[in-house]
Amino acid sequence: MILTAESIKQIKESAARYPHRKSAILPAITIAYRQVGHLNDDIYREISKIINIPQSEIAEAATFYTLFPKQPVGKYLIQVCHNISCALMGADSLVEYLEHKLAIKKGETTKDNLFTLISVECLGSCATAPMMQINQDFHENLTPAKVDKILADLKAKG
Amino acid sequence: MADSTKIETPARTVETVTFTINGRTATVAKGTTVLQAAHGLGITIPSFCWHPKLKPVGACRMCYVEIEKMPKLQVSCATEVTNGMVVFTESDKVKQGRRAIIEFTLLNHPLDCPTCDKGGECDLQNLTFAHGYDDSRFAFQKLRKIEAGVPSTFDDIKIGPEIVLNRNRCILCYKCVRANKEAFGEYDLGAFERGNHTEINAAPGQQVDNPFSGNLVEICPVGALTNTDWRYKIRVWLTDQKASICPFTSSGTNIQFYVERHKNRIFRTTGRRNDAIDDGWLSDVTRYGYQIIQSPDRLKTPLIKKNGKQVPATWDEALAVAAARLTEIRDKKGCVCVGGLASPSLDNASLYTFNKFMRVAMESNNVDYRTEYRRLPSSLDNPYDIAASQAFTIADIDESDVIVVIGSDLVREHPNEYLRVRKAEQFNRSKVFLLNPLSTKPSDVAALELVHKPGAEEIAISAICLAAMESGWASGVNADDLKSKTGFKKAADAAGACGLDLIEIQAVARAIAEGKKITIIAGELVTRSREREAIGAALCNLNRVFGVDGKGQMAILARHANSVGAARLGLTPDLGAGFAGALKSIWGQYPETPPQNTDAMLAAARKEELDAMILVGVNPVMIYPDREFAREALDKLDFLIACDLFETETTQLADVVLPLAGWAEYRGEYFNLEGRLQSAEPGIAPLNEARPAHQILESLAEQCGSPLFAGMDQRNAEMEKILKVDIRRPWPTGLIEVKPQPQETAPERTVALIMGDDPHHSGYLTEKAPSLVGFCGEAYAELSPELAAKLKVGAGDSVRLEAATGKIIVPVRVSEHIDNDVVFVPRNFMAAPVNSLVSRKQRVDWVKISKVSD
Ligand code: SF4
Ligand code: FES
Repeated sequence: MILTAESIKQIKESAARYPHRKSAILPAITIAYRQVGHLNDDIYREISKIINIPQSEIAEAATFYTLFPKQPVGKYLIQVCHNISCALMGADSLVEYLEHKLAIKKGETTKDNLFTLISVECLGSCATAPMMQINQDFHENLTPAKVDKILADLKAKG
Repeated sequence: MADSTKIETPARTVETVTFTINGRTATVAKGTTVLQAAHGLGITIPSFCWHPKLKPVGACRMCYVEIEKMPKLQVSCATEVTNGMVVFTESDKVKQGRRAIIEFTLLNHPLDCPTCDKGGECDLQNLTFAHGYDDSRFAFQKLRKIEAGVPSTFDDIKIGPEIVLNRNRCILCYKCVRANKEAFGEYDLGAFERGNHTEINAAPGQQVDNPFSGNLVEICPVGALTNTDWRYKIRVWLTDQKASICPFTSSGTNIQFYVERHKNRIFRTTGRRNDAIDDGWLSDVTRYGYQIIQSPDRLKTPLIKKNGKQVPATWDEALAVAAARLTEIRDKKGCVCVGGLASPSLDNASLYTFNKFMRVAMESNNVDYRTEYRRLPSSLDNPYDIAASQAFTIADIDESDVIVVIGSDLVREHPNEYLRVRKAEQFNRSKVFLLNPLSTKPSDVAALELVHKPGAEEIAISAICLAAMESGWASGVNADDLKSKTGFKKAADAAGACGLDLIEIQAVARAIAEGKKITIIAGELVTRSREREAIGAALCNLNRVFGVDGKGQMAILARHANSVGAARLGLTPDLGAGFAGALKSIWGQYPETPPQNTDAMLAAARKEELDAMILVGVNPVMIYPDREFAREALDKLDFLIACDLFETETTQLADVVLPLAGWAEYRGEYFNLEGRLQSAEPGIAPLNEARPAHQILESLAEQCGSPLFAGMDQRNAEMEKILKVDIRRPWPTGLIEVKPQPQETAPERTVALIMGDDPHHSGYLTEKAPSLVGFCGEAYAELSPELAAKLKVGAGDSVRLEAATGKIIVPVRVSEHIDNDVVFVPRNFMAAPVNSLVSRKQRVDWVKISKVSD
């Protein structure tokens, strides 16, 4: 079992709130993601047993949302927006800068398992481009200096 | 059977709407989509994702039409007609829209038509020619989905025993996934990821191997899903289509063979949609079953036993030997010495010829077609046969608001009706109740599934009757009478006796009482029971208590392709005075001898009181519910003729073996379970030296000195007369006594064995179809996780099943859907003859089960 008793309890509670069992899929995968940090086939199978929905339906919903990573990621998931506004404002060089600073390529995780770097579609913060999201927080109007500070702070926190 | 007992529904007033399409004004029922309305008027609208039996999704946009007052083109498959709507299907705007959609659809579609198996019957290819540009403006690299580490020239991946997927060709119409979920309730296939990265694939860690998986290939509009059965063997335009009927189930599913004439070979089977029967869906058994006809194992020539060994012979030799011995035995004084069994899957002409052969040429009433059942009723006037002779209409299942399935593992016995029940629940919100000794497949759509103790069918049914009476739902039924006829004072007692909760019993009773249109289906678990007459009596009472015949239908469904034909053509030994009289007036003679059914014939043979038997397409050693009994009986015969497609345990015992032609090799007519007469064209000419049963029997009769018919016309005229005899029996007007024989108690440490068909097999022949063996190639014991844990077995282990009569060793399958005190074993595999664990005298077959340690 990957899911903890606490997650299972939360999933059951949230499932009880919906008239249609299928509505429980998204809350369930969110709860699992919060616990594990990513999703995979084994997790889909466990959820499928808990809310009694076929595994393929869980997998269909989960893979539709790119917001859920499908393999292990570092403690801090850095998602750089690469859509049009951010691209115009230098998203490419932002990614390059991060790759250089973290000594990894886009899509990789640092050796200390602290950072994973990916680029994503629009995060809805065009007015503050270029921007990135780290876990649940937005970091906006980025410059190399700002990035240095953000990374240093996170490293210090560990 | 005929429609005379069909209930009258008051003419429904259908609300209509009137609209204009391409300048024509038309009126259609409210709720009709523009696409359906157009099709109804003979106007074609191209489409990819629309399917007549699925809910519309509007995924492909190919069905664009222009509707006045709507600024943009609309998808006609998901737009309902409204009053005053003005629709154009061929305007310039529509044509331009279609071209654009084709251009988009081809965005990532490989241009590999020359190597694609769908070429020639591909919707995309056809619609591109009809509506597309001859060029594309998308000049960039196409997205290509390749499975990492799977080398493949065309990026194909195998996602099931029969199915190959090429994701690049997929145009994401979602028909496969929708059919799988909506129509079949299966979840082994899904659509994953999103946008143009979306891909169809097998569910994680699973194979697409559900019993209806072949349909997914058939409805795919492009070459994304193909099956190994057909791919790369032939081009579709080189084949002819022959209309046939499925011989494995009793619905008479409409199928067509794709045949190459010069090669005399069938290449595949597809559906021939008949909404009254099959909605166009085929079970895999129906789809791939044709392969048995072309099996290299088919009997090649007749065989004659010489010095204890069967050796090949010519037809002339074999028929001469057979006729000589049969006449000699027939003419022996002082006994009725010849008996015969025929398969209820044979066509009408063969069954009728068999009947006349036995009764006229052999002067014997020893005729039967029921070889796999125990304790056959001796005459037709018994409660079982009353319940089995009731009218039933497949399509009426759809509209029933309450459906009760009693004693039937539906998906294994009646795949068609299984899909109908699902459809009723999915599309009409019908309430489904299951009443079985084991959990069965449509349980996911059941309002309530009641699993009773093995061997307690009639008690469960009586409990429902009593519960209705107690709640005042059984008007016109005397309470004391019901109590005395069922043998129970209270519903609670009956419920307790069959191991069910009274509350659940009451829920079923309430549903039947309140339902507006009822369908009650009983199946093989009733027919195969030793107590079929007691269960039949309980069903008669159920009808009486609820007045089911006044508001719906109830029947024990026939199991075989022509069981109904066999009954109507008189293949039961004792036909009663009326039927026998009719035959006598046609034939001018009728045997006076005592009629013997299958049980009686085999018992007589064992006592050497029957000298010869002729078997046509039946294998009693494999299917009679007591293997040794059947084997010994046949072995003791002086003379045995066996006609079959293959060498079997039974043909091995025969003195003369005659190669039988299969249903795909000659024209035949069949009655489905509704009594619907359908005819099947031959796909190919008989292979090797095989001959149709009616031809064999006619030649044999001639050689015995009693020719049966002057010609085909005479035979058909006689059949026509016989089919006028009404063998239907009305429901009894009063209650009847339910009195089963006393139940034997379960011996210590045993479980109840339930045998039936694997969902990918039917009877004893489908082992010869390679595709079906690909799905399931050997027998298994299906047991509950708890029982498996108790026995310390898991997947990969084997168990030994033992009974007084024999034992078999089979691998284990653990299933969440089976109870702890039963084990299911398929009866389709020669290597694991499950009927050796079964005794004809017992009600429940208790077997010892143990782990095989190696
Ligand atoms: S595989 Fe075929 S049926 Fe399924 S979505 Fe793709 S094109 Fe449609
Ligand atoms: S057929 Fe209407 S959108 Fe596909």
